[in-house]
Amino acid sequence: MLSKLAHRALERDGLGPIRDKVMEGRRLTEEEALRLFETRDLAAIAALANHVREARHGDLAFYNRNAHLNPTNVCVATCKFCSFARPDDRPASQGYTMSLDQAVEQVLGKRSLGITEVHIVSGLHPDLPWEYYLELVRRIRRAWPELHIKAYTAVELHFFAQKFGKSHEQVLRELQEAGLTTIPGGGAEIFAPRVRRKICDDKATAEEWLEVHRAAHRLGIKSNATMLYGHVERLDERIDHMARLRRLQDETGGFQVFIPLAFHPEHNMIGKAFEKPTGYDSLRTYAVARLFLDNFDHLKAYWVSLGERLAQVSLSFGVDDLDGTVLEERIYHMAGATTPQALSEPQLHRLIRQAGRVPAERDSLYHVLRVHGAPGTPERLPATA
Amino acid sequence: MPKLRAAAVSFLNARPLTAGLAGSQRIELVLAEPSACAAMLERGEVDLALQPVAALAGKDYEVVPGLAIGADGPVQTVVLAGENPPDAWDEVFLDTASRTSQVLAQVVLREMGLSPRFTPLPAEQGLERARGSKGALVIGDRAFWLVEGASRRPYPHVRQVLDLGRAWNQATQLPMVFAVWAARPGVLSPEDVAELARAAQHGLGIRTEIATAFAREAGGKPETYRRYLTQRIRYGLGPYELAGLEAFLSRAAAAGLLPPTTLRFADDVVRTRRVRRQVSLDTALQKGADGERLDADEAELLDEKAPLVELGLAADARRRVLHPDGVVTYIVSRNVNYTNVCTTACSFCAFYRPRGHGEAYVLGREELARKIEETIALGGIEILLQGGLHPDLGIEWYEDLFRWVKASYPTINLHALSPEEIWHIARVSQLPLDETISRLVASGLDSIPGGGAEVLDDEVRRRIAPLKCSTDEWLTVMKAAHRKGLRSTATLMFGVGEESRHRVNHLLRLREVQDETGGFTAFICWTFQPENTRLTPSENGAHAYLRVNALSRLVLDNVPNLQASWVTMGGGVAQAALHMGCNDFGSVMIEENVVSAAGTTFRMDSDEVERHIREAGFVPQRRNMRYERVGRAA
Repeated sequence: MLSKLAHRALERDGLGPIRDKVMEGRRLTEEEALRLFETRDLAAIAALANHVREARHGDLAFYNRNAHLNPTNVCVATCKFCSFARPDDRPASQGYTMSLDQAVEQVLGKRSLGITEVHIVSGLHPDLPWEYYLELVRRIRRAWPELHIKAYTAVELHFFAQKFGKSHEQVLRELQEAGLTTIPGGGAEIFAPRVRRKICDDKATAEEWLEVHRAAHRLGIKSNATMLYGHVERLDERIDHMARLRRLQDETGGFQVFIPLAFHPEHNMIGKAFEKPTGYDSLRTYAVARLFLDNFDHLKAYWVSLGERLAQVSLSFGVDDLDGTVLEERIYHMAGATTPQALSEPQLHRLIRQAGRVPAERDSLYHVLRVHGAPGTPERLPATA
Repeated sequence: MPKLRAAAVSFLNARPLTAGLAGSQRIELVLAEPSACAAMLERGEVDLALQPVAALAGKDYEVVPGLAIGADGPVQTVVLAGENPPDAWDEVFLDTASRTSQVLAQVVLREMGLSPRFTPLPAEQGLERARGSKGALVIGDRAFWLVEGASRRPYPHVRQVLDLGRAWNQATQLPMVFAVWAARPGVLSPEDVAELARAAQHGLGIRTEIATAFAREAGGKPETYRRYLTQRIRYGLGPYELAGLEAFLSRAAAAGLLPPTTLRFADDVVRTRRVRRQVSLDTALQKGADGERLDADEAELLDEKAPLVELGLAADARRRVLHPDGVVTYIVSRNVNYTNVCTTACSFCAFYRPRGHGEAYVLGREELARKIEETIALGGIEILLQGGLHPDLGIEWYEDLFRWVKASYPTINLHALSPEEIWHIARVSQLPLDETISRLVASGLDSIPGGGAEVLDDEVRRRIAPLKCSTDEWLTVMKAAHRKGLRSTATLMFGVGEESRHRVNHLLRLREVQDETGGFTAFICWTFQPENTRLTPSENGAHAYLRVNALSRLVLDNVPNLQASWVTMGGGVAQAALHMGCNDFGSVMIEENVVSAAGTTFRMDSDEVERHIREAGFVPQRRNMRYERVGRAA
């Protein structure tokens, strides 16, 4: 139930009709999303987004125990927002490519840490053979059968298809047979061609990105979707981006979660021209996404990019999922993220509990593995030690 | 309820901790010799004792947090003496009266790379024989007069005196802790801990009187004793003192002088709760949003139960009424910390250093001039001048400083000295509060910051900052300052293990003073920043910050402005705060040592501050300390 105060605020700002649609479960139009983006009444849209969030998930806040693996940063694409990619793997260019043994070892080395998922994302390497990618998944699967392997963004999968002369479906099917279970949501950036021309004109187009996910969903492979915001895009282009995702989701139902990612301006080509989006922009983006993407179950805040404080606050702005323990994140940290390299499970629990939510560990398919305790249980203050 | 029995020595340096126990309803003081104190505690004849730290070794006593007898430089009452300097000694006679001093002497000489033979011997004989290649440990009055009483030297052959407080400090850069309150496990309740802290606060406030009384008993000048009590001995047990204590125990254990010890602390969290009348959350929120006055029950309910979005909506509604034009103000000011030397040793502070520490500083004129000129160059109009409680700085130092600032930089506003510092200056200079403030105003003080308020509830203050001024004292300074026409801000630093009722009490006390004086221009809260300090946060999150901030907007119905604390929370959370009660974005940061020492690293210049304000949907506007709008300098 929405409180009197919320009703009053929404009506004051002329958001009554939007509120009514949300409360009746009717879908918002793109114009309405723009209206929400532009209202400047953060508290009111937070209340509405939080209402939807709590209706779906109550007080639960999800996380998983995961590790990242970035087998190479060598990339033929020249995305202007990227601080991670390197043209080759000579030490002078700070490029690297892990051998299969190294990559597999890095994952298996995490065994004792109790992770349930590995998230594998790479550059578009000009020389690695198809067998490298397949074998990486296969060997991890063989050595660690119960680990979820969330591997290769649609941009990489499209690159494989082109490079190795296969269809999207073929690429996905072979990987699925090797042991891949889900695919990550990266590489979506902003779908609008105007924006892609400016920031990433030599990788998969919006249509190709969506086509890969469609193919994956058809094979029963669930996937995530991201949006990189806060650079050259306009608000209507953010909404267009979400609208395309919403349409594909209507068609397939294969997306598990939407993950807005704030652009980080350091050490990349367009950073100097753009300032990092402020926290306000992130919070309203979460709220609008929660209200607009009515067919997405989950909305995730990526604390690595957002910072732990804002990530905590986002749990009252529509977000229900925090990226997990994220061992060994490289991509955002090379873009100047100052967040810690990983959060321990107790740290994540505390962050969530102190936001008045209940930590719920999930697996890669959003099954709840364990709910951790009652909300508001105060963390005992040790006597002056 | 039977009283607890506490044993303590009657030495001068113990009196500030024990004097306040006279007439205590909880604790009965038993005066005894040092060795008897330890024995009585050991045998269970007393419940706690002011215990020399060597007596903690190998025991499971609980140490009372926050309080100690220590020194961060010369201590004067524990020395090694001889005809020749220590490196000439092959034998040292150890005064048998104090085990802690014996161990300290051995540890210090070892640190100096010396290894004489040690022989126990009563002080009288040891001193007599401290000639040639022999030295002697001397403690107490005898040591004091070896240093102070050049005119009445009873041992003319003693020409070399090594102060063990200073030597320890030089070897470790840490203070030396000589004694702490230690109790048998499980006997102390948090209320007892609070009582000891209360007694200490009282005793420290009457150090001049204690010195005078002691001079009457023992002879000598009161001023000599006063200086000893106020400038030599430190009574706090903060992170540095604790590190000093741990270093002492571990070095002594490593040398085989004491058994290994793990320190344990008495529980100091008081849990009492008054019966609260039934209030509805919706009603309380609605009242707050409408600007009706909330009472303690309503405020506590909101603090405990209201969801962030609801508190935010109510506070936002209130802000829209108080500041309908959508303007968010900020100031260009520089926070200058003139010294990091401090005697209060608060457990939440990562900034302070003991006086003898290698990183201790007092800012010189030249550096201050540079900082002020940089500030003016950046369009700044104000200096926020705050510092630690430096035991050597009296009112003349501040008067000279302020006059110099005003003469050199007439356009600069001096927003300086938290209530704690003003009390400290009054105490060091032995002046009444009113006169202290008048003199500071006459020399150029324009307004005072609301720092050091922490949580204005003595239950909490005694626990986290036992040596800081009490709630009443803090508010008394503010009232006195307001009466003289000064304006001030008010702050709340929470998340130090306090409960909802403490936070609410804080807000209500501020509201009460504001009803009386109207002198608070703004309120700022933030959560305790835990890195590099010994407190572990109970709630240090941004979520808690936004909730308490919004609650403050509702409860402080008579304080016009609320500042968002981007320095501690980051720009994004501060932007959210603008939509949940705040109408001010604080100051452009040129420098903020205290918070950044605890690991917070947010920085913004004017352009970045204005970008944050604008992106959040508001119009940025510069202001001065009185919250009058001013033009942006070119």
